[in-house]
Amino acid sequence: MEIKIPNLGDGIDSAIVISLLVKEGDTVTKDQTLIELETDKAVAPVPSPAAGTITSLTVKEGDTVANGTLIGHLDGGGESSSEPASAAPVQTAPAPVPVKAPSSVPAQTASVAIPKPVYNESVATSVSIQKLAYRIGLDLRYISGTGSSGRITETDLINHIAYLQSLLNQPSAAVESTPKPEVVLPDFEKWGTVDVEKCSPLRKKIAEKMVTAWQTVPHVTQQLDVDITGLMALRKKYNPAYQKKGAKLTLTVFAIKAVQRALEKFPQFNASYDAVKNEIIKKKYYHMGIAVDTENGLIVPVIKDVDKKSLLTLAKELAEIADKAKDRTLSVEELQGSTFTISNLGGLGVGAFTPIINTPEVAILGIGSGEFKPTGDGKTLALKMPTCLSYDHRIIDGADGARFAMEVKNQFETLSESEIKEIS
Amino acid sequence: MKTQAFDVVVIGGGPGGYAAAFFAASSGKKVCLIDKRAELGGTCLNEGCIPSKALIHATEVMHLAKTAGEFGLTFSKPKVDLDKLRKWKQSIIKKLNDGIAGLCKKKNVTFIKGRAYIEETHLLRVETEAGQQFISFENAIIATGSQPALPATFDLGNKRIMTSTEALELEDVPKTMLVVGGGYIGMELGSVYASLGSKVTIIEAMSGILAGADQDLIRPVMAVAKENFELLIFNAKVSKMATKGKQIEVNYAVDGKQKKSLFDKVLISVGRTPNSVNIGLDNIEIKTDEKGFIVVNEQLQTNHSHIYAIGDVAGGVLLAHKASKEASIAVESILGHRVTKESMVIPCVVFTDPEIAWCGLTETEAKEKGIAIETSKFSWAASGRALSLGRTDGLTKLILEKDTQKILGMGIVGPGASELIAEGCLAISNGLYAADLAETVHAHPTLSETIMESAELFFGHSAHAYNPKVEQKSTV
Repeated sequence: MEIKIPNLGDGIDSAIVISLLVKEGDTVTKDQTLIELETDKAVAPVPSPAAGTITSLTVKEGDTVANGTLIGHLDGGGESSSEPASAAPVQTAPAPVPVKAPSSVPAQTASVAIPKPVYNESVATSVSIQKLAYRIGLDLRYISGTGSSGRITETDLINHIAYLQSLLNQPSAAVESTPKPEVVLPDFEKWGTVDVEKCSPLRKKIAEKMVTAWQTVPHVTQQLDVDITGLMALRKKYNPAYQKKGAKLTLTVFAIKAVQRALEKFPQFNASYDAVKNEIIKKKYYHMGIAVDTENGLIVPVIKDVDKKSLLTLAKELAEIADKAKDRTLSVEELQGSTFTISNLGGLGVGAFTPIINTPEVAILGIGSGEFKPTGDGKTLALKMPTCLSYDHRIIDGADGARFAMEVKNQFETLSESEIKEIS
Repeated sequence: MKTQAFDVVVIGGGPGGYAAAFFAASSGKKVCLIDKRAELGGTCLNEGCIPSKALIHATEVMHLAKTAGEFGLTFSKPKVDLDKLRKWKQSIIKKLNDGIAGLCKKKNVTFIKGRAYIEETHLLRVETEAGQQFISFENAIIATGSQPALPATFDLGNKRIMTSTEALELEDVPKTMLVVGGGYIGMELGSVYASLGSKVTIIEAMSGILAGADQDLIRPVMAVAKENFELLIFNAKVSKMATKGKQIEVNYAVDGKQKKSLFDKVLISVGRTPNSVNIGLDNIEIKTDEKGFIVVNEQLQTNHSHIYAIGDVAGGVLLAHKASKEASIAVESILGHRVTKESMVIPCVVFTDPEIAWCGLTETEAKEKGIAIETSKFSWAASGRALSLGRTDGLTKLILEKDTQKILGMGIVGPGASELIAEGCLAISNGLYAADLAETVHAHPTLSETIMESAELFFGHSAHAYNPKVEQKSTV
């Protein structure tokens, strides 16, 4: 059977193959990851449509693929590919631009002739053209001459400048060709032995995303302790019932609920900011991103429509996506569309921290490990959980940040027993 | 003390300095031009190119009169009125001095006669007859030129030992004269004195005259020089000079043997030294090389980028037209244009009999640098015009890039070579090929035809010469 690229998700036209996890002749199980793709949103695995043996694999690392692109064949599966055969494969390379041969007669049209790449050490041209070229910084050795014996004429110079100008009008090409500034590291071996490891494409993606978020968004982190003494008691009381239903009540589950309710009251936290148009896009849906620690690195799967789901459903889905993240079997669909993100490091025993916003979202809630601290009267102890709200200060003012943090705290502290025990 | 402020100040009023001042003024700059002389024009006009050419022209007439016997015209031996010749030469200089001074006024260039010293990076002090003046500037151009070198061992304070400056004064015509140095100045001035009647001896440290020129171009000049001069001594080193009554005793070594001779006058023409001392270069540490020439980059900027140096004081070939070209490059750079002197094609011209001129690459240079070339040489024996001038010893030579036939150099020897070489400069600086010269119609009968014919000869279709290498055999 044919193996094709499944639907990559809305708004994603193509993806780049970044790694091949199987090779021809390998026996695979259904849903085993065959290749990994990188889209502009995330790294996504392509699962095997069935169990069987890979008879061919027709893509290689670096190829561009789209929905329905044939990537290989599977023997022994029997079932047909889940994707419709009608999906047309796309070209993996841009169509060649037609090259217009340089003509000795000056073209009077607006079209720009694409010059032949040349390098000619022995340049022949008039002294005035040499002077002009030097003045504007053109290296005549790279300009093809159409005059007698390859002489560079004034028209050649004009055509070449027009061609250079036309390159500037292709922003995508120009941007892509702009080399990133290189940071040259010292030779660390001067001071001792080192180990150099190649990083995964996922690591590169994480690095780029973090840099973008850090550089474009002015972060403020508001910290606030939440009293979870009561909540933890309720958790202890009802967790066995949840476990019977194959779910586990965790603080993250409570956090999803608390945050979603706070978001309803503060819609600007469930938004994105378009700096170019100077617009705030407020989303009427609540899709929660959950930061998951995997051995390959940070992955943020998404639980959709959390406002419409019960604690039980959320608990089940949370466990499911966390497992998928660890197995690298999440679909691209499951990695997209979050409107807010929660990062719970409480399980690692740490306190407050400063989470980085999962752009283009505008806020993220970090959760630390609870500690017993004296209450207001100083006589009793309460279990206080540090929450850390990082928000985008471009569109959220400090007072609103404080109000939202207070609202989240309030939601945590007022989660009702009736809601928790409602397991249907 | 009041300080005058200028955009551009030019030190030195020679062909580099006044060209720079005028160009800057024409471009809207407030310009000050300073020279130690009251008259503008520098060495070139006052004691160099112009007076020497005036004298050379006069002696050429004598030479022509002498040789006219061949075609049936005989003249009696010319009488030389030195006073009149000197006055005529001076009148030419005066006319040109006045011309430059007039332009200076028209272009609103402030001229100050005095000695300029760089005091600070943007300040000059000028010592004038009326006292000190201070001038502040945005940009400065140093164009102080050079002066004849006079090694200390020859500097006896005796007026009989001259440099080119004194020789051009033409005080008298000595019976015997020694010229130390067979370069272009020695050869030109030696010829003048020889034509006027002196018995001239040339002594040269190298193995031949006119270092830098190709041997095939030198040959006709050597032939004439051997007739005109009493003696030419090569590979010889002058060790000592001493005053002996009304003569100078000269000791020299040739082939390891010490010799001694007496001369009425001696002309020292062993090169020129840059005028880079006593102008305040040290005050702001402007860099000079070991010979004293100011170090400049491709834009003629010194190590202070707002201060430029052009012409002789900046080294390279010491020629007026090179200074003028550098003047325009420096001013353009001041105007903010991106310019370079890198591709300058500077013609070298020597007014010997016959004249020699060359530009671009020479054959000698190509060999030294290992550049692959092809040459095409057209002998003037095949030129109708050369024959009608009674001068068939000339030669026109093209130096072409191998395989492409792009013109890299041109060399000419023969009467009028100094005028003809302009076509070579045009061809080289504009990247022309041998075919371009061959395709361009040249008037007949002229000497300029030899340029076209040398190109045609390369391809084998010259009407007046034969190149067996490229002749195609008839198949009939």
